[in-house]
Formats: sequence, structure tokens, C-alpha cells
Amino acid sequence: MEATHALASGTSSLLVWLIALPALGATILLLAGRRSDKWGHLLATALSGASFVVGLVELFKMLSRDGETRGVSQHLFTWINAGSFNVEAGLLLDQLSICFVLLITGVGTLIHVYSIAYMEHDHDRRRFFSYLNLFIAAMLLLVLGDSFLNLYVGWEGVGLASYLLIGFWNQKPAYATAAKKAFVVNRIGDMGLSFAIMIAFTAFGTVSFQGVANHAGPEHKQIMTWMGLALLLAAAGKSAQFPLQSWLGDAMAGPTPVSALIHAATMVTAGVYLITRSNFVFDSAPTAQLMVVIVGVVTLLFGALIGTAKDDIKKALAASTMSQIGYMVLAAGLGPAGYAFAIMHLLTHGFFKASMFLGAGSVMHGMNDEVDMRKFGRLRLAMPITYITFGLGYLAIIGVPPFSGFFSKDKIIEAAFNAGGPRGWIIGFAALLGAAITAFYMTRVMVLTFFGQKRWADEAHPHESPKLMTAPIIILSIGSIAAGALFAFGSSLQHWLEPVVARGFVEGEPALQPIVVSIMALVAVALGVALAYIKYVRVPVEAVAPTNVSIWTRFARRDLLQDAFNEAVFMRPGQYLTRALSFFDRKVVDGAVNGTGALFGGLSVRVRRVQTGYVRTYALLILVGAALILAAMLAARI
Amino acid sequence: MNFVAPVINYSQVLPILIVLGTALLGVIVEAFVARDRRYQIQVPLSIAGLVVAFVWILKIHATTAITAESAVAIDGPALVLQGAIVILGIAGLLLIAERKLDSSGDAFVAQAAAIPGSEAERTATLAKLTQTEVFPLTLFAIAGMMLFPAANDLVTMFVALEVLSLPLYLMSGLARRRRLLSQEAALKYFLLGAFSSAFFLYGAAFLYGYSGSVGFRQIREAIQTNAGNDVFLLTGIALVSVGLLFKVSAVPFHSWTPDVYQGAPTPVTAFMAACTKIAAFGAFARLFYVGLSGARWDWRPMLTVIAIATMVLGALWALTQTDIKRMLAYSSVAHSGFILTGIVATNKAGLSGTLFYLVTYGFTTIGAFAIVTLVRNASGEATHISGYAGLGKRSPWIAMLLSLFLLALAGIPLTSGFVAKFAVFSAAYESGSTVLVIFGVLTSAIAAFFYIRLIVLMFFQDPEEDGPTVAAAPLMTTAAIALCATVTLVLGILPNSLVHVIDAASRFVF
Amino acid sequence: MNLILAANPFTPGQTGTPEAVLFWILAPLAVLAAVSMIFVKKAVHSALLLAWVMITLAIFYIAEDAPFLGIVQIVVYTGAVMMLFLFILMLVGVDSSDSLVETIKGQRVMAMIGALGFAVLLIGAIGRSYTGFAGLTAANTDGNVEGLAQLLFTRYVWAFEVVSALLITAALGAMVLGHRERSSERPTQRELSILRFRPGSKLPGAPLPNPGVYALHNAVDVPALLPDGTPDPSSVSRVLKARGDVLDTKAFEMHTIEEGEDESK
Repeated sequence: MEATHALASGTSSLLVWLIALPALGATILLLAGRRSDKWGHLLATALSGASFVVGLVELFKMLSRDGETRGVSQHLFTWINAGSFNVEAGLLLDQLSICFVLLITGVGTLIHVYSIAYMEHDHDRRRFFSYLNLFIAAMLLLVLGDSFLNLYVGWEGVGLASYLLIGFWNQKPAYATAAKKAFVVNRIGDMGLSFAIMIAFTAFGTVSFQGVANHAGPEHKQIMTWMGLALLLAAAGKSAQFPLQSWLGDAMAGPTPVSALIHAATMVTAGVYLITRSNFVFDSAPTAQLMVVIVGVVTLLFGALIGTAKDDIKKALAASTMSQIGYMVLAAGLGPAGYAFAIMHLLTHGFFKASMFLGAGSVMHGMNDEVDMRKFGRLRLAMPITYITFGLGYLAIIGVPPFSGFFSKDKIIEAAFNAGGPRGWIIGFAALLGAAITAFYMTRVMVLTFFGQKRWADEAHPHESPKLMTAPIIILSIGSIAAGALFAFGSSLQHWLEPVVARGFVEGEPALQPIVVSIMALVAVALGVALAYIKYVRVPVEAVAPTNVSIWTRFARRDLLQDAFNEAVFMRPGQYLTRALSFFDRKVVDGAVNGTGALFGGLSVRVRRVQTGYVRTYALLILVGAALILAAMLAARI
Repeated sequence: MNFVAPVINYSQVLPILIVLGTALLGVIVEAFVARDRRYQIQVPLSIAGLVVAFVWILKIHATTAITAESAVAIDGPALVLQGAIVILGIAGLLLIAERKLDSSGDAFVAQAAAIPGSEAERTATLAKLTQTEVFPLTLFAIAGMMLFPAANDLVTMFVALEVLSLPLYLMSGLARRRRLLSQEAALKYFLLGAFSSAFFLYGAAFLYGYSGSVGFRQIREAIQTNAGNDVFLLTGIALVSVGLLFKVSAVPFHSWTPDVYQGAPTPVTAFMAACTKIAAFGAFARLFYVGLSGARWDWRPMLTVIAIATMVLGALWALTQTDIKRMLAYSSVAHSGFILTGIVATNKAGLSGTLFYLVTYGFTTIGAFAIVTLVRNASGEATHISGYAGLGKRSPWIAMLLSLFLLALAGIPLTSGFVAKFAVFSAAYESGSTVLVIFGVLTSAIAAFFYIRLIVLMFFQDPEEDGPTVAAAPLMTTAAIALCATVTLVLGILPNSLVHVIDAASRFVF
Repeated sequence: MNLILAANPFTPGQTGTPEAVLFWILAPLAVLAAVSMIFVKKAVHSALLLAWVMITLAIFYIAEDAPFLGIVQIVVYTGAVMMLFLFILMLVGVDSSDSLVETIKGQRVMAMIGALGFAVLLIGAIGRSYTGFAGLTAANTDGNVEGLAQLLFTRYVWAFEVVSALLITAALGAMVLGHRERSSERPTQRELSILRFRPGSKLPGAPLPNPGVYALHNAVDVPALLPDGTPDPSSVSRVLKARGDVLDTKAFEMHTIEEGEDESK
């Protein structure tokens, strides 16, 4: 890679409006409070749409420039300028970020529209829209920041918005717990990002993308490896990748539009964005890249397996999201050969997964918020539009040509095989296996929901959703039909992104001809569909999940024991540490060493208060401390 | 023997004198004004005194001089810290003067001489007596705090230390609610403070024995010329450090902190948590940067270890706390470790980072404690953390403000705490203390956990059935909180102006 | 530091023989007094022992050519502060004594180790490196008192003045903690009397008996006997009780009444 390459060549003063518009919306709605209940949702939707328009303007301006000079930046203000430490707050819009800007604002606006109807009966609808706007603003800041630090601000912002939205119905304890879980797991990932920033600052004295990119190269392999691993940890946290994947399933507790926007289309793909954006780091660190590939492969299989056993329609879709992001991470780990495909799959996935989630929301809307697929069945007659759009999304995700998923997934599998050597074969076949399992469980979702016998309760009256809900779904499913072909035709997206992620990269001789890969993928998909057909169409489905199932199903139902794993690896040691500390605190520091204190410690807080802290123990501590300091100071002289 | 009259440039020490003078006026008011009119006079008088002092500080902001027979050094760091102490003192005074929160009066006991639980206490409470002596006492403390970072010799430093401590010992014991806890805290603070002061004095004597003077310049010169007995120097440094480390509550001299912070009336806790830390670290920096800078290779390892222990243990202990005041106390311990990181850096960036950290920390802390005073139940403040569950639902504004302060304490970007942490860590890194930076970053991550845990509690949990309510914030508390929140936010987003001011001011005179 | 100076008899030309004799007699006594001050049970004894330590220090100061400091030590500390302290003890009651039972496990041992470690470090460091202190002669050229005055009013005038803030704070603090303002009128004798005879009153209707009343022995340390012949402990000063000086009443009770007919009861 050219170390001197500039990410941005021009400036644009419009960029800040991209973020400012939704941020303004969030502020107004939060400040105005109940007064804005009547018009709040309209304002939020309008501002999100306006942001999309600004994005389109920028896109056209960008198209009018040449490849190498397409990136633009905007300097906002000098954030910190203290001698050696200098951080500018600036925005950067290049070919990579514009894809995200349009995805976020486009899909975001559609979901705003959808939510107007979906949340109609919720008396906190205004608050919901202010959070949605907040999310859009933060996510745009994430993809537009021109340094790791600015990205970090957006990163925390989307985290915040995500917790607020997962816990939106936090009157239900399970939902609040889910929000907390997402929170804690994400903190682990965030630590990775802050480590990466620290490493960059320590090693290079800068945290801007440009500054770090200037130092990229084999001479900094060691540093780049550490930084890459830290970034991978961050990406794993945000994008629900192994081993930090456990929060995504629980995050489905949030309202369905949130699942569609944040936990399918945009936020969870931030990890893929981070890896792609930091391509200069990973390209100089093969070890870190290998780790990325491993994480991607493990997650894509992991997610697919979980998906086969879930009866909750949203959780099944969440598992598939995890798995699809695994594909993207895998592609991003393949280096310049894969970045463009990662982004392509990300975009197509954004369309079809959002449309499927909204479809699921539509089903729930018509079925009194029932999420158990075993209680659905034969809904194709009751909700034709939902059925058709969901079906299009289904065809896209399992990769049937000419739907969008076919193009993007096919490219990733192809790139995997081309990675070279036995490694290429292993990850290639893993990706194929994933495609087969995906076909299996998505067929299962489709069949359980829309085909077979009706299994719903008598009091349910499934009906089609209002137009305000179906219209966004229809637009999204048009995207899930056409986007793939659009991006893949003449490798248009690949060429578009080339200046950012794959400068000077020349494709080698492929290990397998593209057509061979395509045929293999289609065969895998066909096998998956056939297996699901045998299992769920030929045999009638029970309305209650059978319990006499194989250990594997049970295993998968329990999310492959990921919570048990987390508990054993993260929670228990943490708890022990806390307990030990609290013991130490009580017994030694607070000086409640009094025997009676220990005996009656449980009596009440008041008793503990009395027993707390003898001044003579404190004085002793001071004396010992003074003696130690004295000893340390005099150590050299005595 | 001929006597030469001492020279004191009164203009340069005027801010201190103004505050002291106001305190004396306050004492006179206590003596001669009818009981029920004292409050109306004390509050405006105290605040006016502080405002005038601040204006004067602005007027002499460019001063770099040693005055009062070289007992006082008025320079950039001293003026920055004095200014911060005065402003934070005003915020603290506003909280102390608040009388709308507690139905039976202010945060202070009706009559300190009445035995807790006695009939006398009951009648005093019923008679709505109040102790307006807290205003002059606060002003005395502020004057001591202003002198502490400006003290240019060990004797003045010791006197300033006592002047600032004595009123705090007193005021810690004056809580209206849970008086036994408060009195216990005051006694502990007093005894341990006296104990550590003795160490300080002993160390000062050793430094005198080493250099033949208590003046920082003479000690500095003695170290440069390697004039005296090394062992005296080292012993002196060790013992003087004990006294100062006690005041900044560094491990292992921190043990008083949680008890005193918890027991003292919350407005006093707010005031002392912010201002004492500023004053003590200012004095710390002057002593170690001016007087003892020649011996830095001797004291740096010691302070490095203490900084690490303070950061790590403070953060870990804070994890297990269930009382918000105790949690903030341990967090203040952890922050002492972070600030020590800046001191250990011993370069200009370290000094400016420390100053910036102190200013931002002061505002954040007062803000956080101010909100603690608002969350109340029938028996006063509800300091148990469980009382904060669901606060985001019942009073979103208060919960958001507290979250802002907690995020700033945690050092999340876009708050002042982040800029401050970055400043001290990068200074420490510049000076080669990579170990400190590593521990600092790791500890910040741990520390972030317990701040954010509280935020999660506020926003993601249901309120308790009979949980505490949030008082409608009265005027003075609102003003204090608004000031702190504004500073925290502005310094987070646009820290540049203050960074430049402090950068330009970060030069000690000697 | 001066102590150390005197403590080192091997430094030639600085410590005269009389001074050394003085030191070696008084210093062990001072240390003994200081240590026992901590271990005696009663506050009064502690106060007196502390006064002893302070006087000894004053003697040392004077012997070290610091007469002003020595005199101030006696006048202020021993004379004023300690006596005030004793007065207060008398007012509060000499019976206040602390339990010296240590309830914290390991506290004593750790304290011993800490103190010993600290002492060993200091003694070791100073002992090995001591080479003498400079400046006493120079400081005393114009006389000790004049030299001090000169310093107090020039070099240290600022600190000296600021101490006044400390003193005012102390006075104010003492007022806050000690002064109790009456919120109601002081009850008159009449009101008190009415209160005494109100039904359910715990106060005695008549004045308390003096010690020795009706007893076989009328010394102050013998409790009075009530009309029914039982001793009344409240008749003896609690100071005497605290000192353990109250005689056993059994021997002085009027056995005849107790064993006679029950008419009196």
C-alpha cells in the first residue's frame, strides 16, 4: 500500500449536516418532552430523510469526481491541542463511508416510517423516535469520523442508543436484563477499541486514520498485530462475533424496528466497518488477519447452528444475522481480496435482513406479539404482502440467483477458496457448509411461519399490517432483489471501493473457477432446503416444541451453551474477585474484624455501621505505610 | 541587632486576605447579629467575598512573584488553583447554604452541642435553630486551601494545611441526620489528620536538618549542590510525603476517606472532596517540582508505586460499595492515583495535565455530590445505591446529569474527564512511565465499570416500591449543579481554551 | 533533633558531661512516662504523665541553649494546656476510663511491628549517617529570644499571622461544639417542685440523702441508709465510686432493724 496516500483530497462543508440533522431531532424530542407527542415522530422521520437527501447530494458530488480524489473531509474544530497531544475533530467521507451513510440513512428512514405505525399504540412513541434519531446521528458519526478517537465517540454513542432501545420496554425485567447483558458484553469490546487507540497513540503519536495509515508497513508488524487484535476484540463485541456473540439473541427484546435497524442492518455491522476501515492495520499484520478469519468462520457456523433450533422467529433471525456477519468478517479477514465483498454482503444483508425483520414485526403485529413460530403456520393467506416480501428476503439470504444474497455470498465463498493452500480449502468448505445450514434453517423459518397447518390460537386474528408498515418492507425487498446484481455487475462496488481498501491489489489466479464455486454453493443450498422440506413439510409440526430431541438440538437451543461459557469464564471469576474484595474490605479495611461484628454482620446495615472502621486500625495503616515509604526511600542508603 | 521590616506585596496575597477578612466579618456577624437574621447576611456576604477574591485573582493573573518574605509564591499554578478553589468554593457554599431540601432546615445539625438523640436535640430541632457558623468556617477552610498550593516554605505549608483542615474536621461532625456516624467521622478525620500532620512536621524538621532552611528554594539549592546529609533528605521526603499523601487520600493513607465522606454532611463532602484535593495536589506539586525536583530519581519510584496502588485498590474497592457516598469516596481515591500519575511525570505536560485534571475533577465531584443531596427519603438522603434504581424513569433530568458526572469521572470521551485522563497519561508516557500508563488505562476500565453500573441501575431497572424521591431541585442547588454540568460538558467538547490557559500558566516560580 | 544531638555522647566538643548526665537520667524517665501514659487506665494519670514528659522536654530545651522554647513549653503546655486538660477531666468526671481490652485481632502485634520497624529505620538511618547539625551558634548570636523574635516577625511573619486564622477557627469550633443555647426558659424552682411531685415522676420528692445518714458510720464514703434500712448508692459521690473508694455497706447496715419485727417496713 502506498503509505503517502491521502484519504481525503477535498473538503465539504455539508458533512456535518449529515450528523447534525438527526442529532437535532433527538435533542428537540428529548427536550420538548410530552409537548412533542403529536408531531415528534414526523419530525424525526423528516430529519432522518433530510439526512438521506444530504447523503445523496454528497454521492452525486462524489460521482462527479475521479476515483482518487473522491474522498472529502471537513474539519470541525480542534478538540484537544496540548503540546504533543493533538486531536482534531473532523469528518471524512470517502467511497467506503458513503456506502454506510446511504445504508444508515436510507434503511433508517424506512424504519422510521415503519415505526410510526408499529409503535402507534405505545404512549412513549416520541421517546422511541428520539432514540432512533440519536442512533442515526451516532452511527453516522461512527462512519464519518476521521480518527479512531472520533470513531470511538460514535461507537459509544451507538452503544448507548442500542441499550436505550433494547431496554425500551424496560418495565419487563427480562428486557432490562437483556439490555444490561448487551451493555456488559459490549464494554469488553469497547475496551479493545480503547486499547487500540492507546496503542496507536503510544506508538505513532496520532490517532487519525491518515496518521496511522502513514505508519503502516512491515516495519511496524508487531505493533500492528497488537492493534489489530485489539480492534478485532472491539469488532467482535459490537458485531456479536465469537466469543462475544451472546448478547445479540437477548437484544431481540427490543421493539422489532430496532432489531431491524440496529441489530440487523447497521450497528452490528460496525465491526465489519471497523476492520475494513483499518485495512492498513490488518494488511500489515497477517497474524491478526488470520485471527479475523478464524473468528468469522467460527461465528458463521456457530450462528447457523443456533439458528436451526430457535423457535422464536426473532431469535432465529438474530442467529442468522450473527452467521451472516460471520461471512462479512471472514471476507474482511481475507484482506484486499475480500474487503469489497465484505461490504457488498453487508449492504445486501442490510436490505434483505431488514426487510425480513420488518416482516417478522408485521407477523407479530398481526398475531398479538406472538413470536413462537410453532404457533404460526399458514400465514401466507392471511398476510400476503408480508409473505411475499419475506419470501423474497428468504430467497436472497439463502443465495438463490438472481437475488442479491447470491451475488454477495457467492463472492465471499469464492474469495475464501482463493485464499490459497489448505487454508483456502478449509474456510471455503466451512463457508459452503454455512450456506447449506443457512438454507436449512431459513427454509424452516419460512415453512413454520407461512406454510403447513394453522397452529395459532383461536383468539388470534392474523391480518395484514397497515400500509405505512408494508410500504417500507416493499421498498426494502426491492433492494434485496436488485442490490446484489447492481453491485456485482461489472464488479462495480469492487472498483468503487478500490481506492480506499485495495489500492494496487492485483487478483491472483483463482483456485477454483467462479462458475464451479457457484454450482457448489447452489448444490449446498439445495441440500439444505431439501433437508428442511423433509423435516418440516413432510412431517407435521407440533405447536409445542418437542422435548425428546437429540442432545444436539438441546445444545443448539441453549445457544451452544454460550451463556454457560460466559458465566464460567467471565462472570464467575469476576464474582469471586468482587466477593474476595468485599471480604477484604469488610474484614481488613473497614476494620470490622471484631468477632461479634462477623457474627452479627448479617443483622442489618446499622450493625455493620457501628462495627465499621476503628480509627486505631487506620492509624496503624498509616504508620505501616510511613514505615514502608521510609524503607523504600532509604533502601539504597542503608 | 537591627530589625528590617518584612516586605509583603499585599496585592498579590489579596485574594487570600479577602477571603480571610470575609471569614472574620462572618465571625463578627455571628457575635452581634440576631440569630434569625444571620443566615440572610452570611450567605450573600460569603459569596460576595469569594466573588471579589476571584475578580482579584483575574486581575493579577499574570503575576509571577515570591512575596511575604518568600513564604508565598504567586505564580501560574497557584493562581489557577486558587481561582478553581474559589469558584468551587462558591458552588460548595451554595450547597451548604441550601435550606429548601430538608424540611427541618439545612444539612447541618440544629445545635451541635446537643447530644444525639437527646431531648435537647429535639427541642433545638423543633425551634428551627441552625448553625450559621458553617459559613465563616467554610471561608477559613477556603483561605487555607488558597494558601496551601501557594506556600513556598514548609512552615507556611504546614500552617495552611492546618488552617484548611481544622474547619473541615469540625464541619464533618455537624450532619443533621445520622449524627453519630457524622461525629464518628469527624473524630476519625481529626485524629488521623493530627497523626499525619505529625509525620509532616517530622519530615519538615528533617528537611530543615538537611538544608538548613525550610524554604523551597534553599532546599532546592541544597539538593543541587549536594550540600547536606542524604539520609536526612530522604527521610524528610518520605515523612513529608506521608502528610501530603494523607490529604490527597492515597493508598495506604486513604482509610479515612470513605468513612469521612460518608459521615460528613453531603454539602461538606462535596466541598472538601473537590477543594481539598485541588489544594493538596497543588501543594504536592509545588513541593516536589520546586523544592525536591533535584531528588526526583529518589522519590519517583516511591510515588510510582503509590500511584499504582492507589489507582488499582481505589477502583477495586469502589466496585464493592453499596453506598453512593462511599463509592464516590473510593473513586476519589482512585482519582488521586490518576492525578499522581501526572505528578510523577515531572515534566511540563505533567504539571499542566495535573492542573487540568484537578480543575475538571473538582467540578465533576461537586456536581455528583450535589445530586446525592437531592435523592431523599423520609429520613434524609437515600445514599444506598439501590435507591437509585429506576431514577431515570422518575426524574430523567437528574439521572441524566448524574450520568454526565459519572461518565466524566469514568473518563468517557466528550466529557472533561476524558481530556484530563488523556492529559496525565500522555504526560506520564512522555516521561517514560509506561508502567503507570498501562495500569492507569486498565484501572480506568475497571473504574468505568462501577460508574456505568450505577447508570445502568438508574436507567434499566424498575424503581423500588417505597424508594426515595427526588426533591424538586431548589434554586441554589440547581445553580451549583448547572455550573458543574456546564463546565464538565464544555471542557469535554471544547477543552482547548482551558488547556491553553493552563499550559501557559504551568510554570512554577522559584 | 536536639535530643539526638544530646544522645550522641561520642561527638566530641558538643555535649558537656553535665549535660550528658542530665540527659541519661531524664531521657529514660521521659520515655518511661510516655510509654506508661499510653498504658495507664485512668485519664488523670495519663495527663499527669504527659505533663511530666513535657517538663522533661522543657529541661532538655533549656539545656540545649533554647531557653525561650523551654520556658514556653512549661508555661504553655505544662502550665496552661495540661492544667486545662486536668480541669476538664475533673469536670467530666475522673471516672471516665477506657477499656484497654483490644478487640481487634492482630492489632497490637501489628502495631508493635510497625512501630518497631519505623523506629529501627529512623534510628539506623540517623545513627549511621549523623555528622552534626549546623547553625545553632549562628542562630543564637544575638541571643536566643532575640533571634526567634527576629525570625517570627520577618521571615515567618506570614505564617505567624495566618496562625491567627487557626486560632479563631479553634475558638469558633469550640463554641459550635460546646455552647448550648437555651431554646426555652430555665425552669424555676417552683416549676421543678411541681415536676417532682407529679404522679409518675422519677425525681425524688425530697433532697437526696447525704452520705453517712442513718448509717453506723458517717464518713463520705459510706452510703446513706434509707428509712427501710437499705443502702442508697446514689448518696455517694460518683468520683469516689469510680476510684473504688466506696466502702462496703453491708458492715454498716443496722442489722437489728432488718432482723427485728417488720413494723418499720
